[in-house]
Amino acid sequence: MDFAFLADTMGQLLAVTPLTIELWLLCITIGCVISIFVTWARVSGVPVVSQLAAAYVFVFRGSPLLIQMFLLYYGLSQFVWVRQSFAWPILRDPFNSAVISLALCTGGYQAEIWRGGLQAVPAREIEAGRAIGMSRLLLLRRIIAPNALRQALPAYSTEIVLMMKSTALASLVTVWEVTGTAQRLISQTYRTFEVFICAAIIYLVLNFLVIRLMRLLEYMVSPHLRGRPSTVGVPGLAEAGIPKAIVPGAPPEHAASPVNLPEVPR
Amino acid sequence: MSLLTILGFGQTGWGGLLLAGAMMTLAVTISALIVGAIVGSLVAWAKLSRNLGWRLFGDAYTTVFRGVPELLIIYLIYFGGSLWVSWIGTLLGAQGFIGLPAFGAGAIGVGLISASYQAEVYRGSFLAIVPGEIEAARAIGMSRMQRFRRVIAPQVMRFSLPGLGNVWQLSLKDSALISVTGLAELMRQSEVAAGSTHLYFVFYIAGGVLYLVLTTLSDRVFGVAERRVARSFRGGLGRG
Amino acid sequence: MSGDRGVAALSVSDIRKAFGGVEVLKGISLDAHEGDVISILGASGSGKSTLLRCINLLEIPDAGTVTVAGETIRMKPRRKGGQEPADHKQVDRIRTELGMVFQSFNLWSHMTVLQNVIEGPVHVLHRPKAECIGEAEALLEKVGIADKRNFYPAHLSGGQQQRAAIARALAMKPKVMLFDEPTSALDPELVGEVLRVLRALAEEGRTMLVVTHEMGFARNVSNRVIFVNQGLIDADGPPEEIFGGGGSERFRQFVSGLHK
Repeated sequence: MDFAFLADTMGQLLAVTPLTIELWLLCITIGCVISIFVTWARVSGVPVVSQLAAAYVFVFRGSPLLIQMFLLYYGLSQFVWVRQSFAWPILRDPFNSAVISLALCTGGYQAEIWRGGLQAVPAREIEAGRAIGMSRLLLLRRIIAPNALRQALPAYSTEIVLMMKSTALASLVTVWEVTGTAQRLISQTYRTFEVFICAAIIYLVLNFLVIRLMRLLEYMVSPHLRGRPSTVGVPGLAEAGIPKAIVPGAPPEHAASPVNLPEVPR
Repeated sequence: MSLLTILGFGQTGWGGLLLAGAMMTLAVTISALIVGAIVGSLVAWAKLSRNLGWRLFGDAYTTVFRGVPELLIIYLIYFGGSLWVSWIGTLLGAQGFIGLPAFGAGAIGVGLISASYQAEVYRGSFLAIVPGEIEAARAIGMSRMQRFRRVIAPQVMRFSLPGLGNVWQLSLKDSALISVTGLAELMRQSEVAAGSTHLYFVFYIAGGVLYLVLTTLSDRVFGVAERRVARSFRGGLGRG
Repeated sequence: MSGDRGVAALSVSDIRKAFGGVEVLKGISLDAHEGDVISILGASGSGKSTLLRCINLLEIPDAGTVTVAGETIRMKPRRKGGQEPADHKQVDRIRTELGMVFQSFNLWSHMTVLQNVIEGPVHVLHRPKAECIGEAEALLEKVGIADKRNFYPAHLSGGQQQRAAIARALAMKPKVMLFDEPTSALDPELVGEVLRVLRALAEEGRTMLVVTHEMGFARNVSNRVIFVNQGLIDADGPPEEIFGGGGSERFRQFVSGLHK
C-alpha cells in the first residue's frame, strides 16, 4: 500500500471536488426550474403546449446524456451564427456548456417525477377540497402541491444522486472535475486501482451526505407518517381508549429509500 | 453535399456506419445484460441470505455500483483490466501493453453496473411472491430445487419484467459511455462521422435519433411482453 | 328564507345524468325545506350517490338545475352536448353553503384533525384564524373527538375520522348538509357513534340529505324518505307512510331484500 501515492492522489482529487459539487448544484437547480415549466406545460391542457412538453421529456430521457452534451458543446459551435451571437461567450465555456446539458437532461427526468407526484395525489382529497368550495388555485396551493411534492420526494432523491454521478461526463467535454482528473492520473501513472478507489470514495461520501440530507427532508415533511403524538394528560383519554405515551417516534420504516428501483434510466 | 447523401448509404454516406454502430450498441447491451443477470442474481441471493456477511456484501456491491459514476467503472474495467492482462502477458513472455477487448470490457463494465439494479429487481420480485405459495409447495413435498424451479423462478421472472425493462433502457444509454474504449458502437461512430466531416450537429442529431429509435422500440417490445405475461396469468385460476 | 316554507333550502329540478351512454339519473326533482332530514334509499347503481354529487356539482348533470336557498347555479350549454357551470366562482361559493360528508371520509392526510377542520373557514371563507380555531375546538368537542385535535387521520379509527369529517363540514356553517353513505365504510361497531352524531344534528333542526342503507336511521330520525329506483324517484314521503306499507312494490322488495 503506497500511502504516499494514495495521499497525493486524494489531495489532487479533493482539490477538484468543489467543481463536481458546483456542477451538481447548478444543474439540479436550473433543471428544477426547467422541470417546473415543463410540468406546467404538460398539465396545461393546451394540446400543442402539452405535446411539446411531452416531446421534451421523451427526447431527454430517451437518449444518452453523453450525446446530448456533445451535441451542445461541439454541435452548436459548428454554426457561425451561434459563434457570433451574444450567447457565445457563455456557451463557449465547457463548464457552462456542461451545466446546460446536465440541466436540460435532469429537467426532463424531474418533470416526469413531478408528473408522477401529481398523479399520486389521492383523488378523494381533491374532491373534499372542491366540495368545500376551494377555487382551483387554492386547491393547488393547499392540497395538491404539498401532497405531490411529498410523494415525489423519494424519486427526487434518487434523481439528484444520479445527477452527482452524471457530472462525471463533464470530463469528456474538458471539464477537469473529479473523474476527469482521475482519468488524467490513471493515464499518467497507470495505477488504475488506487486512483479508482480514491475517486470512488469521494463519490460515495458525497452520495452518502446527499442521501442523508434527503432522508432528513423526507422525515421533516412527513409528520403524518410518524408515530402518534403522546396523549398523556389530555382530557377524554379514557373515552379514546388509546394507550398513553406513544411518544413521537423515530422515522418510520416506510419504503422511502431514496436509491430505490431504477425509475430513472439515463 | 446534401444531407441525404451524407446520411445515406452510398460511397460518401455515413448511414451504413451509423446503423452498424446501432447494431453494435444492441449487441454490447445484450451482452451486458446477460452478465448483469448472472451477477445480479448472485447479489440478490446474497442480499436475501440469512448470513449477515453475505448481506453486507450484497449491500456493499449495490452501494458501490450505484454510487460510483459509470464512466469511472468503465475506466476501471478497461484500463485496469488491460493492465492486468498485460501483466499476465509479460508473465507468459509477451511484450508491452495488451489491451482488453473493448467489447468485453464494455459489456463487463455496463454489466456489473446493471447487476446492481437487477439485484434490486430480483430481490423485490422474490419478496413479492406470496409466502403461502411457497408453503404450499413445501407442504406438497417439493424439494428445494423443485420449489425453486417450479414456483419461485417463474414468479420472479414474471414480476421482474417491468423492472428489467427499466434496467434495459438504463444500460442502453450507459452503453454510450463505452465509446471511450474506442468500441465502434453508435456513440463512437457518431463521433467519428462528426469529426471526419466537421458536421457535428448533423451527426450527433442523427446518433440521438437512432438512440431514440432504439429506446422506443425497446419500450414497445417490453410493453408487449408485459401484456402477454399479464394475460397468461390473468387467464389462470383466480389471480389478478 | 329561514323557516319560510315558500323558499326551499335546496331545490333540484329534472336532473339527468348519463355515464358513457348509460343513463343513471332520468329526471329527478325534489325540494328540501329547512329542517328536513331526508333519507335517500335505493339499490346500488340506482343513482342515489350520483344525485348527491350532482347537487354540489362534483358531477355535472347533463340537464337540470340546482337551486340553493333561492340561488340557482347558472349553467351554459356545452359544445359537445350537455351543460357546464357558467360561473365557477358561483359554484365555489355555493359549495361553501353545502356541506358534504363522504363515504371514505376524504380527510386531508397531511393535516391534523384540527387543521382539517379550520382549513375551509380560514382559506376559503377568509375568517380570522383564532376565531376558527375556537369554533373548531367546540365542534370537535361536539362530535366527541376533542382530544384528537392534533392527530393525523392515519392515527384515527374510521368512526373518529368520519366524525372529524362531519366537524369539518359543520365548520363551514352550511345551509344544507349532504351525506353520501356516511357509515357504509365503517366497521359495524363504529357505525353507532357516527349515527349518534347524525341524530344530534337532525335534532338541532339542520337540513340534511342522507344517502344511506341504515334503515333504523331512515325510520326513526328522518322526517322524509325518498326511494330512488333506476334513476327515478319511486317513493317519497314520511317514514311512517313509506315503511308502513304505503311505499311502492319495488320499495317493499328492496327493504325485504336488505333484511335477508
